[in-house]
Amino acid sequence: MGDFWFEFVEITQTIGDGLLFGATYALIGIGFTLIFGAMGKLNMTYAAASLAGAYVGLAAFTLVNASALVVFLVSALASGLVGFIVYVACFRFIPIDNHLAALMASIGALFFIDEIIVHATDGSPLTFPAMFDDVMLELGSYGIRGDLLFVFAVCIAGTFGLLYVLYRSRLGLATRAVSQQDVAARLCGIDVHRTNAVTFVLAGLLGGIAGSMTAAAVGVLSPLITVPLTIKGLIVTVIGGLGSIPGAIAAGLLVGGLENVFLYFRGVNERDMYVLLLLFVFLIFRPHGIFGSAIDRD
Amino acid sequence: MSYYLGLVQLIGIHTLLGLSAYVLMLTGQLSLGQAGFFAIGAYSAGILTVIFELPILPALLAAAAIASFFAFLVGFPALRVKGLMLVVATIAFSEFVRLFFFNLSWRVPRGDIEVGPDSTNGFREIRFFVANGWSAWEITAFVWIFVILVMAALWWTDRSRAGAVLRAVGEDELAAQSVGINLTAVKVTAMTAGGFIAGIGGALYAHTATYVDHLTFTVLLATFAIAYPILGGLSSVFGTLVAVIFIQGVLVEGLRFLGDWRNIVFGLLIIAAMNLKPSGLFDARTAQVLKRAVGLGGKD
Amino acid sequence: MSAVRLSTTALASMAVAALIAFAQPVSAADERTVKIAGWGAKSGPLRSFGVNSEAVLKAAVQSINDSGGVKLGDGTVAQMEFTYYDSACNADQAISVARKVESQTEALIGIGPTCSGAAAAMYGIFQKTVDDESDTGLQFPILTDTAIRPGLAKKSQWTFRNVPNEITMYDELFAWLRAQYPDAKTIYGGTETDQAHSKLTFAIVIVPMAKKHGFEWVGGGIEGVTGKVREGYENVLEVSKSSNWLMADTNFSVQARAFKKSGADMMIVSSHPFTTCGMLKEMKRQRIKPKVLVGLTSSSSAETLKGCSAAAEGMYIPTGFAPITDAAAKVAAAAEANGGSADLHSAAAWENAHIIKQVIESTGIMAKPETLNDDRRKIRDGLETLVKVDGLMGDIGRVQDEGESVKPYVFVQADSGTWKVVHDPR
Repeated sequence: MGDFWFEFVEITQTIGDGLLFGATYALIGIGFTLIFGAMGKLNMTYAAASLAGAYVGLAAFTLVNASALVVFLVSALASGLVGFIVYVACFRFIPIDNHLAALMASIGALFFIDEIIVHATDGSPLTFPAMFDDVMLELGSYGIRGDLLFVFAVCIAGTFGLLYVLYRSRLGLATRAVSQQDVAARLCGIDVHRTNAVTFVLAGLLGGIAGSMTAAAVGVLSPLITVPLTIKGLIVTVIGGLGSIPGAIAAGLLVGGLENVFLYFRGVNERDMYVLLLLFVFLIFRPHGIFGSAIDRD
Repeated sequence: MSYYLGLVQLIGIHTLLGLSAYVLMLTGQLSLGQAGFFAIGAYSAGILTVIFELPILPALLAAAAIASFFAFLVGFPALRVKGLMLVVATIAFSEFVRLFFFNLSWRVPRGDIEVGPDSTNGFREIRFFVANGWSAWEITAFVWIFVILVMAALWWTDRSRAGAVLRAVGEDELAAQSVGINLTAVKVTAMTAGGFIAGIGGALYAHTATYVDHLTFTVLLATFAIAYPILGGLSSVFGTLVAVIFIQGVLVEGLRFLGDWRNIVFGLLIIAAMNLKPSGLFDARTAQVLKRAVGLGGKD
Repeated sequence: MSAVRLSTTALASMAVAALIAFAQPVSAADERTVKIAGWGAKSGPLRSFGVNSEAVLKAAVQSINDSGGVKLGDGTVAQMEFTYYDSACNADQAISVARKVESQTEALIGIGPTCSGAAAAMYGIFQKTVDDESDTGLQFPILTDTAIRPGLAKKSQWTFRNVPNEITMYDELFAWLRAQYPDAKTIYGGTETDQAHSKLTFAIVIVPMAKKHGFEWVGGGIEGVTGKVREGYENVLEVSKSSNWLMADTNFSVQARAFKKSGADMMIVSSHPFTTCGMLKEMKRQRIKPKVLVGLTSSSSAETLKGCSAAAEGMYIPTGFAPITDAAAKVAAAAEANGGSADLHSAAAWENAHIIKQVIESTGIMAKPETLNDDRRKIRDGLETLVKVDGLMGDIGRVQDEGESVKPYVFVQADSGTWKVVHDPR
């Protein structure tokens, strides 16, 4: 009985940690899904741009010794700006029906951003400030990391902020109109380019939060994590269902939680294989994602 | 000279990698999983020449067959997903393959050492070429025989009815289906052919590099695989070749004199190329200009 | 329309410019110089390897030239000259640069390619056994720095390495720790399993050497681990499978909890700086305070201190470089002046340049274009016969049949943002 209880605490704690960390995956997933929803295109630069934002925030921390909160804000703004630049460089002037060229350009931008980061930092890991990282809430046998709780709260707040903009403002109305029927939206006088640019900036702001929260949760920032974060973000997007924001949130938490369970039971070498199998299961049995609300377009 | 020959070999191998993605793109399928088939080809061929001590040719053909078998299997579930879903599904497949080889340890004693894939430590001693006294010229010729065969086969297919069928599926699936084209057959065939070509490429790669490990076959390599046909354009197989020369010859090797700036310029040039020539460097227009220049093309 | 035309021209001219630069023939030097080539990761996430290695090499060549240069076989004194290439920690590029240097330049020897994975691939294209006519591999000597994965250089008789020997280092470290912490009994640890160096060192060196000196894995030891190198290493990886991580991991909560649960006296974090920092920070959050904390030799660099000096406080690491001698301190300062940092990886580049000078002077190299192949062969043979050379921290010996070095080392401990030397067994 004692053993069983101990094991139960271990496993639930493991899942809990993963869920909290999964909030950052969810944010990256939302970014991919948002841009896909608006343009039907894949922006491969997204995760790298998110981390680039975190690096700008870190520069603020190093140069003017800004507080953690300011660092997060700067990260979000910088990533929003990067989002706009990426839109102009990789999407704005490429014919709207040419998906391949836009995809390739965004891959070029991914290489570019990665190398800029590598050159600026020599690829060295750098300390990233966190909030509440010395707090550990003890609830009976459970311990909950204060900083992860904060990360989780910020991610949730970021998502609600986004939903508010999308569903309660004119801007959001235009974004949704373009994502549903861009020809009709154009006929109604909506400037598609402007709306798309706004979507990129919004996704970027969210990405900056995700990037800085990921960095804060690890405590160090390194260009090593851009590609893995991109892959994880894409997996979350698909499991959640393309274009579905609630789906991306649920999928982010699901992947975060299960990945820890796989690690706990099967070890680190097999962990990611099970995450991929989870994706295959969804692709075959629930191709429209967790809530089945995926947009059916390619 | 061995440097230029090595580069020519690499260009040939990457052309095969690019063509494996090109075949799929003709049918409208964008796959970021070609690195997975390339890995299967590389490891299978290496295992056959190193552990089973087969000569290179049967090993290479068997490896390509194994890779195409897996591509065939992937082809069916891949039918269900399109666009971004297919991109992610194929990334996942290729990562799965990479993790499989990351975990694979198959060591056999050979003399006083052990040979074979050794999980994280990689698969060393795939030295069939150098150990059998092949000169750099001979290796280069061997690689390019396959490149030329594959290019010729694809070129010919493209000119024939089969090519029209592939492109019809790529242009508009619904229309293709309504004129009686069997989508399943076309797409699965394209996937299988892509796997075969990537398998040959991987087999040749393992033997020219003499070493592979799981980190060779990351998403980055898959990205290059689709970069070649996109950058080169889908109008003909030569686009892919042009793009490989542009990336491997010019951007990676040619810009070495830029030192620290090389990799930064790399990304920028890709962005520039896609903005300036969204249908590829070797698009229909460029092909026409070139044809006219060498006095082949008519005026149309 | 014209935009399209323009762009074609623009791209084509860029391509032509690149090709011209790339096809430039090597100009024959009027006066004789000793040319060497270096290459390493100067792009990609491991850029610091190349930056540091180049900075140290530059300082070394400078110091050789300042003190008169290199004496050639006919008594002429020549200056040393080096070119550094970026091979991005990538197997293809490392091979490509090796071929380029061998066939397109007059470099007598290469120092590269910093990354173990790239080295493992690159060594494979070299001739395995000297004078084996049936083997068409490259015939060009290599003296690698940085790449530390065990047992690479024996792949070819043309390849040599000057990197710390981890077996001796950890053997001595645990012997010393045994004396320092007589009541420490148990160990526990984890490694980054997708990096061959950290994983191998953890499973075949660190855990067995700890066992040898009486540190038992928590829960009664690991079956098959006897205290001899390599024995039982599969079991080490099996028992630690849920306390290990991958190189780009970001979440260490499960691993750290396993560490905590173990309650071991000594804990091992065998990984490179990024995940070392991630793991140490998580251990700090979970308030895990082992009596002794031991790290992988690769983490004894400036990167770890940049990433997490507070969390690393107290960690012991054996290292092949510390600025404790006058010569070593001079190199550390010179590397810094060149925009890099001398550490256990890069400091070897200094020694390599000096080893090359010594070999050139003892084997009578001519450094003329027509003697290029002879010179390269003589340098290889010279390296082969070397038994002992001066290093920055004392004599460097070598393992004769393998081309690997045996270097002096010290034990350092993270102490308020610096690596403090706590024991010097030289």
